[in-house]
Amino acid sequence: MREDLQDSMIDEAFMPFQRVLEEMLSFNGEFVDEEAGVRTYISRYEIESPVELDVVKDENGELHIGSTPPLYYVDTTFRPSFHKLKFTAEITREINGD
Amino acid sequence: MATENTAWQLEDFVDSLVVELDKTRETLAVKAINKPLSYTVKEVALDLNIFPSYDGDQITFITAQPGQEGASKVSIQLGSITDQQVRATSKTPSAKGDVTIDEIDVDKATKKKLRKLGVNSVDDLQQIEQKNVDLKKVSDNSVDYSTLAKQIQKSKRDQNPPRVRAVSLSIDEDQKPYLVIKGDNLAIDPVFNPVAVVNKSLAGVMSSSPKEVKIRLDSAHDLTDNNEVILTFDPFAVMKVNVKTGTSAS
Repeated sequence: MREDLQDSMIDEAFMPFQRVLEEMLSFNGEFVDEEAGVRTYISRYEIESPVELDVVKDENGELHIGSTPPLYYVDTTFRPSFHKLKFTAEITREINGD
Repeated sequence: MATENTAWQLEDFVDSLVVELDKTRETLAVKAINKPLSYTVKEVALDLNIFPSYDGDQITFITAQPGQEGASKVSIQLGSITDQQVRATSKTPSAKGDVTIDEIDVDKATKKKLRKLGVNSVDDLQQIEQKNVDLKKVSDNSVDYSTLAKQIQKSKRDQNPPRVRAVSLSIDEDQKPYLVIKGDNLAIDPVFNPVAVVNKSLAGVMSSSPKEVKIRLDSAHDLTDNNEVILTFDPFAVMKVNVKTGTSAS
């Protein structure tokens, strides 16, 4: 319910900060070449990206941070204000035997 | 395009950011159950373009919007921290019954000064006092512990006011009458002897405890149908009880 409220408060072009991080983390970090018998995986990665932010305050004074990667790729008279997000993810569990 | 951003305080922003990060970590923990490879967020850093403003009391920020130039930059970096580090660097959460600075009846300037010193609750204040820190010196003579101590006691007492549940009239072995006041949080200050006034005449307190107070009565108290009993349990708890002849109280 809280998430619904949070979603409705933040501008529809933006998503809760949590979702931005989750989306960036949802990738397949494993590369397998069965013919060659090689298995490779990403152990750590860093992302640095410009982001737009929408910070809103609810009736309880709680802040909700909406964020999105740059929305438009055309030159406009007003440039969006790009903040910078950088995060590092590391592998927590490896395949046995690797 | 986003709606107009609201002004926020750094503390609130970081709190919200941490909540979002915690939720992400929870999601990843669930994902790790089924996924052979799972990742965890080690560090998150945000460089924000913001406009700060100071209203004489606190600093607030507004995130820059499209077309706005000349914004300041604030960098926030959240690193991962172990449970052990949290315990070593964090203050113990407020105990039940701890009184926050906001609940103490002192002026705004003193509260602000206390917050700047990292004092957010009475417990913090008492810990400082126990370490013999002279608050007067560190606060340029604006905060005095002894003055605050009284306000603290008052605030604590306000949270636990005395409650009278029953009043009865008894006679002791020497056939002398006395009043028995029963209730909760009555005489809770061990160093203060309660004072009782019955029908505007001082009465001796025979015994006192948080649950019961016994008051000696004599002819000077001139008992009638309605009797006024004023009880001072401590400097912050004074109670007036109307005792009707017999056993009822109002």
